[in-house]
Amino acid sequence: MKEQIFITGYGQTSFGEKWNQGLRDLMDEAITSAIENAGCTALDIDTVVVSNMLGEVTNNQAHLGAMAASLLPHHPPSLRAEAACASGAVALHTACALLESGKAETVLVVGVEKMTDTPAGKIASALMGAADAEKDAPSGLTFPGIFGLIAARYMHEYDLSRDRLNTVSAVHHKNAVSNPFAQFRNEIPAEKISQSPKVAEPLCMLDCSPISDGAAAVILSTKLESPISIAASQIASDTVSITDRATLTSFAATKDAMEAALTEASLEREDIDHLELHDCFSIAAIISLEDMGFAEPGKGITLYEKESALSINASGGLKACGHPVAATGIKQIIDVSKQLSNSGKTYGLTQNFGGAAATCGIHILKHTPVS
Amino acid sequence: MSFTPASSYRADKSLKQKMQDGVLVSFTTIHHPPEGFPAGPRHIGLIKLADGTTVTGQLLCTDASDLQIGQTVLPKMRLSKVNTEGLRLYDIAYEVSALKAVKEEFPGYLVALTGPSGVGKTTISVVLSTTIGKDVERVPIVTTREIKDGDADEYTHISSEEFADLKKNNLLATSTSIPSSTEKRWYGYRTSDIEAIWAKGKIPMVITEMNLLQGLSSHFGRRSILSFGLLPPGKSKRQMLSSLLHRLRDRGRDTEQQIKDRLKNAEADLQFFDDRKELFDHLIVNDKLETVIENLSGRVLEHVSS
Repeated sequence: MKEQIFITGYGQTSFGEKWNQGLRDLMDEAITSAIENAGCTALDIDTVVVSNMLGEVTNNQAHLGAMAASLLPHHPPSLRAEAACASGAVALHTACALLESGKAETVLVVGVEKMTDTPAGKIASALMGAADAEKDAPSGLTFPGIFGLIAARYMHEYDLSRDRLNTVSAVHHKNAVSNPFAQFRNEIPAEKISQSPKVAEPLCMLDCSPISDGAAAVILSTKLESPISIAASQIASDTVSITDRATLTSFAATKDAMEAALTEASLEREDIDHLELHDCFSIAAIISLEDMGFAEPGKGITLYEKESALSINASGGLKACGHPVAATGIKQIIDVSKQLSNSGKTYGLTQNFGGAAATCGIHILKHTPVS
Repeated sequence: MSFTPASSYRADKSLKQKMQDGVLVSFTTIHHPPEGFPAGPRHIGLIKLADGTTVTGQLLCTDASDLQIGQTVLPKMRLSKVNTEGLRLYDIAYEVSALKAVKEEFPGYLVALTGPSGVGKTTISVVLSTTIGKDVERVPIVTTREIKDGDADEYTHISSEEFADLKKNNLLATSTSIPSSTEKRWYGYRTSDIEAIWAKGKIPMVITEMNLLQGLSSHFGRRSILSFGLLPPGKSKRQMLSSLLHRLRDRGRDTEQQIKDRLKNAEADLQFFDDRKELFDHLIVNDKLETVIENLSGRVLEHVSS
């Protein structure tokens, strides 16, 4: 990083079905709590970056940059970033670029999604916008369908059994019990996962992250210091359509962003203590672990089966916390910041991807305890 | 999701390309298809087509337990949905091939020369059988058409009844009927003829046309065929057709009516080169016999030695 960028403050709404809150209310709650946490005033914020994917479809609302800025007394300059489920990471990356360039000194990044007002069929079609509308959608494919194809292929290539795959969601649900912001705070026994209704075989309902409302905000600053800073911010792209990929069982964008991030932070992956990864579907968690190099190809599941030094999705991940699409990338930053503060360890990493990892963003956070 | 007439038109352009056999890379059963699609489970596959491109498509099967990764699937045009404006939208779906098992083994190479009538296929094949005759042998075409001068070893003539028998007993690798205003002609290749040539350690060569080439490709597998397309000289389609017309008249084998038929077919052949690029390894313009022969025998021998 060309500048030292501090995570000055953060705040989020709880995720779930928030029927009494619209986009504006959700953003307001997250922003207020972030400013309070930062200990600064709203007037310290000189730019706002909003991440949101579906405002036009789910709320008939575009122009969310200005809407977020209007929640602050001085209406600072604002913009919106969209990269499907990776909107959060791309918004953070944009904020880092603004800070590194000196265009801004303190940036508010807020991710928001309001999904539960919309009927399930319409939201499924809208989410399919993250895939290729001319190559993938006409066959009747849905987003769970894309990951169903990926899961079927992965299980075929690596001989992963359905029972072993159950572990992923079971662990995430267990982790979320202690997270007050999570949508589902109940443990689910592993065998129940594959007994839940089938969605896109081999994936079942409990393999999929839910439809959620929620907002998450962080305040990044080069001026207002804090013990947690950003050591790397990288994004990478891949083909939007899975039909243009050489393989289904590995995501090039994750690999590229990971390498670039480790290089930027001058770290080895062994230095990472806390990890929040993008488990939009259970199979995605396994593939992400492999692409980030924490496990050999085909062996990602083993990190869920035994205790390891690396904490993975201690928050409960997308599965149990909920997945208000564009808020997720920001929420991961909040979770890793909290985990670092609590454990006193030094490095944490977030991986946030969009579509079938057509965009992947990786951020590495550094914790320098105040002595 | 909106499927407007314009976006449907753009999708239609890819339909031709999707009309190929393929192999199942992966598949899933979606229990809640998106808006606008029929309710209920929908089987969808990711399919690697014969030309190497990958597509997604609906799989036509009643039970997902019939499906297997690596299975061969066959394309089928079908009504995908009717949009709210009443526009009927078609898409290619894929059928699990029950009759044709996946051909795992590689039977051997075939050389195929495809081109419109009058492009010079016969001349080239005669020269080739003298230059690389020890490696390559011509596969006779089984046909129901009447015997003509110059047919000698090019055709094996049989009756329509005999042809129907061969077809019924699955003894033909591929067959087609070529419409003509004077008679109904059937053409085909016997699997036994081709296998006999392989048994001799030689490469079978077929001088063929588009339907037979497609049939051979699905019978033996696309990679078995070293496929050459022969184009008449000429910068435009019109010039190509006119040079064919001159050659057909010079040859003097056909009546003016037959020439007319042949030209009609030739036009379709030229379009075929464009539409089914994936069926050809090399497209060669037949402007000078020596260079064509050199080019062809070079490429064939390259494959023999490799």
